[in-house]
Amino acid sequence: MAVENRRKEWLTAIEEAPDEAALKAVESRLFGKKGDITQLVKSVSSLPKEERPAAGKAANELKVELAEAIAARRRALQNDALAGVLAAPDFDPTEPGPSIRRGTLHPITVVQNELVDLFGQMGFSWQDGPEIETDWFNFEALNHPPDHPAREAQDTFYTDDGNLLRTHTSPVQVRTMLRFKPPLKVIVPGRCFRNETVDASHEHTFYQMEGLVVDRGVSVANLIHTMKTSLRVILKREVKVRLRPGYFPFVEPGFELDVNCPFCSGEGCSVCKRSGWIEILPCGLVHPNVLRAGHIDPEEYTGFAFGMGLQRVAMLRYGIDDIRLFMGGDLRFLTQFDET
Amino acid sequence: MKISLKWLSRYVDLDGLSPEEIRDHLTMSTAEIEDVIPFAGGLEDLVVGEVLETQKHPDADKLTLCQVTVGGAETLSIVCGAPNVETRQKVVVVQPGHVLPDGTRIKKTKIRGQVSMGMICSERELGLSDEHEGIIVLDAGSRVGKRYIDQVDVTDHVLEIDNKSINHRPDLWGHLGFARELSAITRRPLKDPVSAIDYPKKGTRLAVTIQDKNSCPRYIGLVLDRVRVIRSPDWLRFLLHATDVRSINLPVDLTNFVMLELGQPMHAFDLRHLSKEGVGIRMAKKGESMATLDGVGRNLLETDLLIISGDEPVALAGIMGGEGSMVASDTTQVFLESANFHPTIIRRTSSRLGLRTDSSARFEKSLDPANAEAAVHRYTSLLMELCQGSAPAGPMVDPAHWEYEPNKIRLRKARLATGLGIEVPDAQVKETLTGLQFAVDEAKDGWDVTVPSFRATKDISIEDDLIEEVGRMYRYDNIPEIPLRTTVAIPHREEELFLARTMLEICALELQANEVYNYSFVPDRVLAAVNALGKEQKYATVTNPVAPDLAKVRRHVLPSLLSVVAQSLREQEEVRLVEDGRGYQPERRDEHGLPHESRELCLVYSRRDGKPCYPQLRSDLVSMLGRVGFPPTLDELRRSDDLPWIHPGRTVALQREGMIYGYVGILHPEVSDNLELPTSTAVATVDVRQMLKTGREEKHYQPIPRFPPQPVDVAFLVPVTARVADLQKFLLETNPKLVRKVELFEVYRGDGLPEDKKSLNFTVTLGAEDRTLTAKDEEKYLEKVRASCAEVGAELRG
Repeated sequence: MAVENRRKEWLTAIEEAPDEAALKAVESRLFGKKGDITQLVKSVSSLPKEERPAAGKAANELKVELAEAIAARRRALQNDALAGVLAAPDFDPTEPGPSIRRGTLHPITVVQNELVDLFGQMGFSWQDGPEIETDWFNFEALNHPPDHPAREAQDTFYTDDGNLLRTHTSPVQVRTMLRFKPPLKVIVPGRCFRNETVDASHEHTFYQMEGLVVDRGVSVANLIHTMKTSLRVILKREVKVRLRPGYFPFVEPGFELDVNCPFCSGEGCSVCKRSGWIEILPCGLVHPNVLRAGHIDPEEYTGFAFGMGLQRVAMLRYGIDDIRLFMGGDLRFLTQFDET
Repeated sequence: MKISLKWLSRYVDLDGLSPEEIRDHLTMSTAEIEDVIPFAGGLEDLVVGEVLETQKHPDADKLTLCQVTVGGAETLSIVCGAPNVETRQKVVVVQPGHVLPDGTRIKKTKIRGQVSMGMICSERELGLSDEHEGIIVLDAGSRVGKRYIDQVDVTDHVLEIDNKSINHRPDLWGHLGFARELSAITRRPLKDPVSAIDYPKKGTRLAVTIQDKNSCPRYIGLVLDRVRVIRSPDWLRFLLHATDVRSINLPVDLTNFVMLELGQPMHAFDLRHLSKEGVGIRMAKKGESMATLDGVGRNLLETDLLIISGDEPVALAGIMGGEGSMVASDTTQVFLESANFHPTIIRRTSSRLGLRTDSSARFEKSLDPANAEAAVHRYTSLLMELCQGSAPAGPMVDPAHWEYEPNKIRLRKARLATGLGIEVPDAQVKETLTGLQFAVDEAKDGWDVTVPSFRATKDISIEDDLIEEVGRMYRYDNIPEIPLRTTVAIPHREEELFLARTMLEICALELQANEVYNYSFVPDRVLAAVNALGKEQKYATVTNPVAPDLAKVRRHVLPSLLSVVAQSLREQEEVRLVEDGRGYQPERRDEHGLPHESRELCLVYSRRDGKPCYPQLRSDLVSMLGRVGFPPTLDELRRSDDLPWIHPGRTVALQREGMIYGYVGILHPEVSDNLELPTSTAVATVDVRQMLKTGREEKHYQPIPRFPPQPVDVAFLVPVTARVADLQKFLLETNPKLVRKVELFEVYRGDGLPEDKKSLNFTVTLGAEDRTLTAKDEEKYLEKVRASCAEVGAELRG
């Protein structure tokens, strides 16, 4: 009976041991050299012979039971400790790390890189030319003979040495034709200049991206397909486009390409002047005189060209309402576009 | 330009077409219509009334008290200020509670003590014209109480044309041109308003002398008799008003009407003011001047074309008439001019004088000389119809003998199909061109197309122009999208573009710099701040700058970038800016005569606390340039008169293969002072094209060392003038076989060291190819260093 009573006492002591140290103390009180269980097992040998087997069995069973109870308690204490570590109530998920400056590319660079990659995947090579350009490349080779009124419409900056600041990226059309042989597929993003008074929607320094394709049998139908495909990616939506007549001396026929207005989905709003369409890029088939200027036979080859305003794309994309912000070093503006 | 639909419908049936449909047809096939504006809209509230009784307002001389019926039981008492109001007139009335077209709501009021129950309207209030002196007096047959708009047909819609989209189409500068387009688009017949007239063979005429047929290909003069300078009929005045032209009197209004109808500007002179000898067309003489009919005196140049009478200028040809010869109220004989002038002469004079008129805008576009004659016929028949009794006094004088030599163009079916990418049915091609008044004859491989004179002056001259005609009438949006045929595009990779892009990305993503764009124009204020003003350097200079201080095109990019640093430092403690731009050095020229263009990637590091920025910028730059394959050598100072903003003693050249391709250093102390920047501000420029010329480094695999490295620290005490590179070289050359690399880890000056000395602390990594090194190898190496370091002026420490 005494042993039975003590068994309960021992089990309670094990189960209630609050930590590893207390458990260790209980363990040595039971299983140490002079521990209760050690003594109990030893005491069996001093019993009368006939009692020994039963007592021995009981003592051993008790020993195993208590050892298991200690192991179980130890596991439980370890689990509690790990749970405590994992719970970490002093950890503040809102506490930030040290602040890191983030460099930024200019929003026009971001848009330009994206277009270069997009058209690159469509097989267009990236080209450029000088920003101070000759009259021949900027106008004459592009079918603007001297005295052509379109020259005046472009508000050209002339330099004192008889050259000019390019009014579009189109001079690179002929530069490219003279350097390489068709088939040609190139894009030319770059800085252009027109003598305009600067306000929220006009800049004398602006960015354009020219595209040019010259190959055998290039048609208006190909132009429509190429433009639709690329605009879908650029504007990140399914677009409707419409092509209508537009006049530019270096294309024939020439077009204005409109996309359905993203602000009113074609219903008509103030942005699209109630027409449901937004003019996005001028384009057309390359004028035979331009091909000739590039030493390409217009009977053998045809081509198309298009132009895109990069500021306009950036403004539509980021909702920027003042074109002046692009030039100059206002970090409050520039640091907003931390994209690559 | 404005096009009235009511006016258009005189030449083509527009029944069943809404203004929006007409807008869309024209936009898709002809020219951009910017807007559709209702004319004489908002007249629903106005009714016809009859003035039953008038009496003078008791307290105001100029006001009349009218009793007006609008058909109801009550008569309205209305105070009217118009001088022409009379009893029994049918008038237009707006009653209290109703609204005028401009949105004004009419209220019952008291005018000088008299109650007024509404208003009797003038044309201006209805938006029909600028007339507001008198009220509108309707036909006696108008029915009292009915809505005004049901009694008089005045409502209209006006199309606002984007002038830019018709600059190449002289035929579209009049209503008939747009009617012709609509006739072709809708396949409805065109009614030509012009019919030839028989002029008297004899009678009054004025001789016309053309000095040069190039500047004036055609000049037709006609004298008209028994002209009365009367007011034009309502329909004519309203059409002019709808298209933004002020009505003056019938003879003048008709010149404008014909211009807006046929696109041919005309001028009416009072015959009394012209010399009997006739008129002439010649260039102005040096020092000549004249007063135009706007009352402004004009100094003329020898490039200006004049109409003269007895050698006195009477008009600035194609732009504006002279002050003395205009039609006056007592004019009875008119000399009518209908001519054709050289577009460039007109454009230059008009833009030089800042005198842009409806006439000059048209002549600039290369008008059809055939139209000059049509206009005379049209004017004459309209005048005879609207001013009973008037008639031509003699024959048309047309000395130029201009004749159209029709231009015939072969349109090949194959070329048409290639261009548009579709096969347009033959019948449709023919119908389209015929509809646009081209003459079409079958030919072997297509058609021979004769261009009408009104399309031949400018826009139709080659086969591709005809392809456009077919395409736009077919409508481009009916052309399906077809992918480009795949050919293997030859990739023309421009290293410079990709290299600059990669470097910019490294600057932004790795060096945490912010990319900035600055103008290519650099103002003197910036050049002064960077010590570059007054230097000998040449600039490409814009002759027509947006502002006087924006004429110079920058030689180098860095000064513009520097000009925005101070502003950025107010935003951030530490600023790192990068700009990729072009500079122009006009003393060098390329094969086209263009100034030498450099592409410069510039970096500026600056800190508000003034701590050194140079070491970080230098490391960042070396790391970036190494990564893109152009590792520089930095062992010489960069000094150049062309770079006055750099500190001449603290700026290092970036060199490779014996070529300098940039620099990194700090600002000249005067420049940092001028720009209010910390003196520690560091700057760098990489000349990208120059760098490319040095050739990209090829990376080669190095076998991985089989035996471990053995780092050894070496500290030298050296004079402050000693160069790290020399000691690095010494440490390497002490045992080239064993030394794998030498790295500086500290430079120390100050406490514990003599003033003229500094300590350079290196980590030398030793290693052998065939064994693991021992402490003995290290000792031997250090021994050798100690023994010979005095040769390089160094003393081994510790």
